[in-house]
Amino acid sequence: MSFAARRLAQAIPLLLIISLLVFGLIHAAPGGPLSLYLDNPNVRPEDIERLKRAMRLDKPLATQYLSWLASFVRGDWGYSYADGRPVTERMLERVPATLQLVGISTLVAVIVSIVVGVGAALRRGVDHAASIGAVAGLSVPVFWLGLVLQLLFSNTLGWLPSSGRASFVGGGLGDRLAHLVLPVTVLAVAHAAGWSRYLRGSVRLALAQPFANAARARGVTETRIVLRHALRLALLPFATVVLLDASIMASGAVVTESVFAWPGIGSLFTEALAKRDYTVLMAFLMCASVAVVTLSFLADVAVHALDPRTRNAS
Amino acid sequence: MIAIPRFRAFGAPLGMTFRFRSPVPGSRVARVVLLAVLIGACARDASRAGPSNALLIVGYDREPDTMNRYATHILEDIQSCVVEGLVTNDEKMNVVPVLAAEIPTIQNGGVVLRPDGGMDVRWKLRPGVKWHDGKPHTSADVKFTVDAINKGDWKPESTDGFDRIASVDTPDSLTAIVHYKEVYAPYQMQFFRGTLPKHLLDGRNIDKANDYNRNPLGTGPYRIVEWKTGEYVLLEKVKEYWRGPEYPKIDRILFRFLPNTTTRINQLKSGEVHLVALVPWDKIRELRALASVRLNQVLGNGYEHVTLNEKHFPPFQDVRVRQALAHAIDRELLVRTILDSLVTTVDGPIQPLSWAYEPNVKRYAFDTAASNRLLQEAGWKRGPDGMRAKDGQPLAFTLITQAGFAIRENVAQTLQRQFRDVGVNASVKLIDGTTISSVWFSGEFDAMLHWWQSGADPEITLFFASDRTPPAGRNINYFADDSLTRVLYASDRTVDQTKRAELLRTAQRRVAELVPELVLYNTAKIDAVPASLRNFKGNPTNAGPFWNVHEWTMGSESLNSR
Repeated sequence: MSFAARRLAQAIPLLLIISLLVFGLIHAAPGGPLSLYLDNPNVRPEDIERLKRAMRLDKPLATQYLSWLASFVRGDWGYSYADGRPVTERMLERVPATLQLVGISTLVAVIVSIVVGVGAALRRGVDHAASIGAVAGLSVPVFWLGLVLQLLFSNTLGWLPSSGRASFVGGGLGDRLAHLVLPVTVLAVAHAAGWSRYLRGSVRLALAQPFANAARARGVTETRIVLRHALRLALLPFATVVLLDASIMASGAVVTESVFAWPGIGSLFTEALAKRDYTVLMAFLMCASVAVVTLSFLADVAVHALDPRTRNAS
Repeated sequence: MIAIPRFRAFGAPLGMTFRFRSPVPGSRVARVVLLAVLIGACARDASRAGPSNALLIVGYDREPDTMNRYATHILEDIQSCVVEGLVTNDEKMNVVPVLAAEIPTIQNGGVVLRPDGGMDVRWKLRPGVKWHDGKPHTSADVKFTVDAINKGDWKPESTDGFDRIASVDTPDSLTAIVHYKEVYAPYQMQFFRGTLPKHLLDGRNIDKANDYNRNPLGTGPYRIVEWKTGEYVLLEKVKEYWRGPEYPKIDRILFRFLPNTTTRINQLKSGEVHLVALVPWDKIRELRALASVRLNQVLGNGYEHVTLNEKHFPPFQDVRVRQALAHAIDRELLVRTILDSLVTTVDGPIQPLSWAYEPNVKRYAFDTAASNRLLQEAGWKRGPDGMRAKDGQPLAFTLITQAGFAIRENVAQTLQRQFRDVGVNASVKLIDGTTISSVWFSGEFDAMLHWWQSGADPEITLFFASDRTPPAGRNINYFADDSLTRVLYASDRTVDQTKRAELLRTAQRRVAELVPELVLYNTAKIDAVPASLRNFKGNPTNAGPFWNVHEWTMGSESLNSR
């Protein structure tokens, strides 16, 4: 309990520092919410000044930050500069699509990682193939893989829809699943590549422990040792990695969402970034930070609870 | 096109990796994959219904920020299907009446110049037009629009022109007399974005009127029935459209938001979307082979050019240097190679579609000898490395342009090479789209490759008058010429179109002589539309190709020549 409380207490100043940094960085980026207006010759300097005042962008940066912080902690996340709607409304309507995509991709990636990781730890042939596959999976850029899959399965073969969450006409369950196949594949490949290597390493380490030798000496089969003993031990650090990555993925399926026109918060972020929509960017980045901090906190607590050794150390 | 056998070749190494352990799991995996793909194949048919008068699917490059035409700062294609202007402009850039019964001019008595230097414009509205809620569209809506924009308690994008209106009189429900404080030549396009419905918005904060801003009340052929954020906007035809029961012909139009260009083009190829407006030029070639799509091309009211910032790079102040650079560029080569002959070269800021266009201006042919001579005369001598310098200062500048715009990046590199041939050292720097606007607005650059896209009115004062440098205008050449400035302001104060055209022609000749910027080519507007779509005409301006959407209809393919 005291451990959890201490970790929580550390998180608050951390988030404050993050918010200050993020605010500074966003405002330091050249251009602002009004710079795109300049491309229209009919928008005159008077208009820019008028809009600046209306959006309170004429105030000093410190004042802007403090007033943002004060409202943010009270739960008032402000209004989007781009469309004038409440930021919370804009974020919430995008969350389900992202959770669906990231949840399913994580699940698929975990299953693939376990199968491949364990196989690689056991069989040298699988290991070679898996390591080639992992290098390929890690080095292929997500947007490239996405576009190639679209070209192949959607344009050339015509088997799968190229993007979106559902067809406008005839959007049943089968249609929704078909729309998931390509983005899930892309996200799962990217993560399974790293995770499977990680799991393979942990399983190998576990197999080198004395208890594995002791089991072998007692005639327990190698498969049984891996599945009953080594895997359980290896899953501990694996769970931590998955939790941390998932938190980043929850906020960061940005590229995949953009390639597949997936209406999640990642594509909202891309859009907000291009328009320098400060309020939406701040809310998004703070949520992402909170997600990372929370999940790493959960990972710590989980390891703490699962592994008696860390308990003794603290 | 990738044929299936090649897909087999992709699969081969994968099969091999499985083979030397056990072939069985491999084939099981293959079976699962096959099953998944089959499920997908069954599901996908529904998503690829061809275009019909029942449903047209548009692949749209961005989600609108607001549907309020006066508040949005991006293209208004969706909005203009719903909210009509008093006027619009057609594919030849003629101003045509929509909700106005006619265009007021001096000749028809609609425009009266007052002795006090102001002017009155009498707008006669088309009778019998109703808002979608059944209330009549009247002159009170025109007056309300002007008052609402001038009141300044909300955020319209631009107040251009409105701030010169002193008041609006409404002698009857179909006549609005707009009293301008001064003569304002571009008055015809003043209400191109339509009117705000007084009965809905009176007394409200328009910024907060989200019912209107998300789903505006209009008089147009369509209304918004659903806006699914991040996915699409669905329009449905209005049953009692004022043009008569035969309009519009298409029942529903779906705008799908596909910001990624490659994804948008892929969807067009796979048939998931039917129409893509403003196809980027580097994607045209791959669409030419597509039988389901027709490419509709019109001249644009914009021109690609190199801005020469005389304030930031003083050597540009010498007209001989500017003329030499113009002679150094082989525009025909650019158009023939990088641009695939999609565009035509032009020689000035006012485009051939405009009534004010002047074709007889000084032209600068590709002529490196002339270019070298002019630079030599101006005192820029070649050094041992072949590059020019004067008093120890090299003739070297940075050419900025927007990143991620494939054609522009290539054009910039070619210009760099062509300038080098006459001893001028240009280095190319790519800047992202949001940042570049603030860079040019602050004047912190030497030269920039970009375009201006203008509305139908030929005003160019804000680009060339000497007092219209930022922030007061868009003269980012920081170019100053007194006689040109005088002519431009005189044209702004001339309402008679024939006289105004004369002044603007003089201005164009002067601009061509002095070369404040290096004009390259017209920005063609190319839209990919279903081969069977009839009456699609395109549009050279930001009025956009949906200006005549009520006429569009799907016919048999044979009716279209491809």
